[in-house]
This record gives sequence, structure tokens and C-alpha cells, in this order.
Amino acid sequence: MMRRASAAGLQHGDKLWAGPDGLDPGAGSGFAQQHMTVSWFRSREPHLRKSKMARAQSRTSVRLVAFIANLCAYFGVGRSTVQVPLLLWSTESFPSLASPAAGRIVPSSQLAAYLTSGFHSGSHTVLLFLQDKLSKDDFTVYGGVYGNKQDGAFLNLEAAMQSSTSSLVLPALEWSVASDAPALLQETLGVSPVLVDPDTLSDLQLNPTDSNLLYFNLPYCTGLHESCEQVLRNNDQIIGKVLSIMKAKNILYTAIYTGLQPSRVIPETSMSEQRLGRSLLQAAPPGVKDPLIFNVSNTPCIMLWAQNLNVRFATDWIDLATETPTLDGSLCNSTNSLLVLNYPRGIVLRECPLLLNTSHVLKRYCVVIDIIPSFAMSQKFFPVSARNWFSLDSVLLKSNNETVSFDGSRGIYAPAEYSFHCMSVNSFRDALLIRGQTSLNTSNWMLNFIDFQIQGFGLANGTNFSYASDCAGFFTAGIWMGLVITLLMLWILTYGLSMITMVNTMDRFDDPKGPSISVPQTE
Amino acid sequence: MLLEWMMNGHAILYTGVTVAFWTTILIVGICYTIFDLGFRFDVAWFLTETSPFMWANLGIGLAISLSVVGAAWGIYITGSSIIGGGVKAPRIKTKNLVSIIFCEAVAIYGIIMAIVISNMAENFSGTTPETIGARNYQAGYSMFGAGLTVGFSNLFCGICVGIVGSGAALADAQNASLFVKILIVEIFGSAIGLFGVIVAILQVNNTDNLDLVNSCSKNIT
Repeated sequence: MMRRASAAGLQHGDKLWAGPDGLDPGAGSGFAQQHMTVSWFRSREPHLRKSKMARAQSRTSVRLVAFIANLCAYFGVGRSTVQVPLLLWSTESFPSLASPAAGRIVPSSQLAAYLTSGFHSGSHTVLLFLQDKLSKDDFTVYGGVYGNKQDGAFLNLEAAMQSSTSSLVLPALEWSVASDAPALLQETLGVSPVLVDPDTLSDLQLNPTDSNLLYFNLPYCTGLHESCEQVLRNNDQIIGKVLSIMKAKNILYTAIYTGLQPSRVIPETSMSEQRLGRSLLQAAPPGVKDPLIFNVSNTPCIMLWAQNLNVRFATDWIDLATETPTLDGSLCNSTNSLLVLNYPRGIVLRECPLLLNTSHVLKRYCVVIDIIPSFAMSQKFFPVSARNWFSLDSVLLKSNNETVSFDGSRGIYAPAEYSFHCMSVNSFRDALLIRGQTSLNTSNWMLNFIDFQIQGFGLANGTNFSYASDCAGFFTAGIWMGLVITLLMLWILTYGLSMITMVNTMDRFDDPKGPSISVPQTE
Repeated sequence: MLLEWMMNGHAILYTGVTVAFWTTILIVGICYTIFDLGFRFDVAWFLTETSPFMWANLGIGLAISLSVVGAAWGIYITGSSIIGGGVKAPRIKTKNLVSIIFCEAVAIYGIIMAIVISNMAENFSGTTPETIGARNYQAGYSMFGAGLTVGFSNLFCGICVGIVGSGAALADAQNASLFVKILIVEIFGSAIGLFGVIVAILQVNNTDNLDLVNSCSKNIT
């Protein structure tokens, strides 16, 4: 039975299996050349066909079955990345199987069909070498594939596969199938598997007329006592010993080498979860939180959004934007809006300096009972610009029955129909919020809002902010100053240059034909 | 004639630059109006956010430079006339140096005012318009105004004295008795430069607003 190598497995193994001999179809030299192995299979096909004419008909029918099975397998789903390689070689002749496309994971149905077609008649002796864990990567890491064949840990395996009548390599087989390999083979062969200790194999009596399923347990490296390479080498020795014993007994066998589990699993995201198509880099990342909305009679009246609402009482910054507050105490009418955010908490701050009367700083732990920032906005009509403007008059920060007021009317304003947005609204650096009176306990309180957007009036039915009047203008004050001075100087330069270029030689009284001017030497 | 003037490379260049500049301003203004962003055009923001130092130093710079331009222009005009007339009548050159001295005085007015104004500029603390304070803004604008006043006055005074001096030189070359009469015209022309200096002194002389001081030290509310 020839099983097509799964496509999923080949994508990684393809290049890594390429040996130093390069592309040489039909040479069949080297176990460690995947495409070589594949082309070697192909080159074996005509050989088989020529030599085994008697079984041509059955082989054709088997090939047809295999082809149909593969066709069905193409429509199958093989998205799991948990895969185990399977190597099969036989001293009998097995039906050939075209290699699967690179990257395909062979599903269980295909393997079952193949095994059935291979073992359907006659008695077969099957040796199943089940290693605790096996992956393609074990072959690439320890198989001596980088030109160092002699250091490889699979020398017996390679030799066996090369000298076998037919062989099959499946770099990726669905894991569940591999772990059920004994059951599958039992079903196909009709015999129960026998766990054999390799040392006692020579003593075992095997009847060639019956089907036998011998199953060998090979360990995988645990890293405790021996290196992985040594463990695999030992396993290879065991395989070699078993095969030589079988050869000595003159029994035709089919050997399968696979693993119970993969030794390395590469996590892969399922394609169905990925968004197809490109997305803008500037697009908002998924999971942007919704703005805080205060509704009055089910229509939004105040909206607030901030990436960070950092509040500082003593030394640590607390980000309030990660929690959801309650909006009790908020109100919203046509001239005033007040948004109150209630954050109940009971956290202990690391240190909370307290100034005593003797100006001796006593550090102790403070418990913050609640944090209640409230945003007070008002709207007025201004006659010079003939429109309504709103301003964030104050941000009151209440905590532990202490209150500090931050005045924002100077810098936080916008026309009433629009929202106000600013990347950085803080109370200490280019402060838009100016801290008012503080007491001893509240002298260190600070605010730092990042990517802050607020609107208190003029919200339509929707839950979108209106146009955001940004705190950053088109040009900064410094740029305007530079532009004014530069343009003035350029204008002066231009004027001066034009004056210089208009200086001409006086030629009013030039008379080329008249007498030249005479300068008297004496007065 | 117009075509000849149009073919002048200078005219094309200046016309092009002017048209481009004003077109940009016009289109930006139209866009702002259409999108109801006219509120972003804020002259008060510009006047309060730009540093008073910019205005003060502009005034100082313009005081000296415009005065010097006036003096230079005047000397250029007078000097070329004296030299030209002195070819045929060398006796004029000593007497007509007075015209040059009148032009030079204009430059001296300019530099004196520049030094006087710059001595009034001091450091101040404060980063926001409220903390900078109205007095500092007024000091900056006063210095700018004074500089402009003395600069433009001296500019035109210098040109005036220059042209009159040129006429005096050429008249003197023809008839020696004309010089003294024309000198009186020149004196009147020179007085207007002095007017500019006096007004500039008055502009910066308001002792309350003279200095750019640290507003904290003056107990300003």
C-alpha cells in the first residue's frame, strides 16, 4: 500500500529534507530527500509494474480505489495541526500510492482505506513501532539531514526503507488516527496486537500463514537521563534488531513506525477566525470600548470617551477607564450638563504621605473608599461670534470625602454643536485643567486624561460624537510666529533685491556721436 | 508699452508670487467658511499665544533697520548728485556734505531708539496668558509700535532729505547762492524724523508698562 504523503506535512519537511545531492530524479539516494523519495517512488512504479504483471489487475483496481479515496480526501477537512508522521515499509509488495500534495494532513479515512486495500487478502505480519512521541522535526533535527548522514539517528530505519520492496512516507497524519493505529490495524487484519519486548522477539514463534500484529513500544526523550539523540538512536537500534531478527526468520513483514503523540505542536490560528482581506492600519483596533453615555428619557445627552482617565492621589496613578462607573447624580439640560462617574472601590495605596503640624511627613497606607470625578459643562451664547459655545467649567474630583476642583474653562471649550477632543488633558504639564484650592491631604492630587473626548450638548439621537473640535490647531503658536517673521523678512529681501536690480546706468545724456565729456583739470 | 512692461521678468515674478499668495489665502478662507470652521480663525488666540518677546524684538529690529534704509537711500540719492555735480563744479563738494550729515542723523536716531527700547526688555515668568499678565503684553506691543514709529518716520525722512539734498547740490553747482535757501527746506525735512523719535519715546515711556517684569514680584492680581 502506498500512501500519499500529506500536503500539510510537506511544507515544513520539504526543504529540510533536501540533501546535498540536490534534484536528481530517479536516483533514490538518501532517505533524507523527500522529493527524492517521492520521485524514487515514481521510478519504482514502472519497475513494479514490469516485474509483477500478475498482480497488475488487482493493482489497477486498488489504484482506482486509492484514487477515489484521495479524491474524497481532497474534499475532506484537515485543519488540525496536530499531526504525526508515519513511515511504512514492507518486504511484500504493497499497492502504490501517489504522494499527497505538500501540506496536506492525511485524514483517517484515507489511511483506513489504504490499509484495507493493502491487507485485504492473505496473511500479513505487521510490526508496529509506536514511539511515545514523534514529529517531522525529530527527523530534521536528529536525522543527519544537513549533509552529516553519519551523525543521523535513523540509520537502520533509512537502510530498511531503502532495501524494502515498497515503502511509504506520510509526513503528516491526523493524530487521532496515529494513536489508534493498533486498533485500526486490528480491525484491518482481524488479529489483536501483541506487545512484544524486542529482546524476546527472537524467542517468539511466528506462524507465517496467520496474520500477526506485533507492537513495540519505543520511548521518547524526557531530557532527564539521556539526550534526545541518544534515545532516538537507541530506538533505531531496536528497530534494526527487530528487522534483522525478522529477516533471520525469513518472514515477510510490513513495518510501521509512528508516534502516539506529536513531540512538537505548532499552534496555528484557524482560517475561519481570520478576517479575509486587508484592513487599514489606521483602523480602530477591535475591542475599542464604547463611550460613556448618560441618557435622559432614553436619548443620549452626555458622552465621554477617554483612552485613559488617570488619577493620582499620592504616588501611584490609577486608571479609571478600565472600570465601568455608575452615572448617578448626572444631569443634563439645555444650559448645564453634569456628568458624575461613581467608582466604588476599596483599594490600599502603597503609601500615602500625610503632613503633620510639625511638617514631618508620616507615610502610611491609605484606603481609598471611592473615586468620583464629575465633569461640569455649561453653554452660553456669545454675541461677537454669534454662536453658542460650551466649556468644561470644572472637573471635581471627590474621594474619601475630600474634594479638589480643577478649572477647565480656559482651555476646554468648543462650539456647542461640536464635541471637544484633546490627546492630553492634564493638570501639570501644559495644563488644561488648573487645580484650585487644595488642603493638606489633597495637595498631591493630579489628573491626566489621555485621548479625551467629551460632548455635553447637541447630541442627536445617534450615539456618535459630533465633529470633534480639537485642542490642537492647524499651526502652533510657535509656527505662526516663525511664519510671520519669515514672511516679513522675505518680503523685505525681495524688495531690496528688486531695488538693486533696478539700478541702471544713467544713459539719458549719452550721445555716441557727440564729443566725449571733458573734465577740466583745474577749477 | 504695457506689453513691454509685462515682458519684464521682474513683473512676472512679483505678480506671480502675489497672486499665488492671495489665492492661497482666499481658498483657505473659503474652505474654512464652507465647513463652518470659521471659529478656528482666532485673532485673540494669536495675539495672546505669541510671545511678547517676538513683538518687542520686531520693534527693535525694525527701528534700526528701517532707519538705516532711509539714511542709506538718502545718502545714495544725495551722494550721486554731489558726485555728479562735482565733476563740473568741484566747489560744491565741501558745502553739500551737510546734506549727507542730515541723512546720517536719521540713522543715528534709529540706533539710539533701538538701544533705548531694547534696554526695556526683561525676562518674565509665566506660560499662560493669565500668568503672563496684561502688562507684559502691553510692554511687548508698545515696543513693537515704537519701533515701527521711529522706523517708518526715519525711512521717509531719510528719503526726503536725500532728494532735497540732491536738488540742493545740483542747484548749487549752477548758482552758488541757491544753496542756503534750499538748506532751509532740508531742515524742515529733517524735523519729521525727530517727530518720530519723540512719539516713540512717548510710546515706551509709560513707566507702569515699560518693563517686561516678573509679574509675581510686582504683586499683580
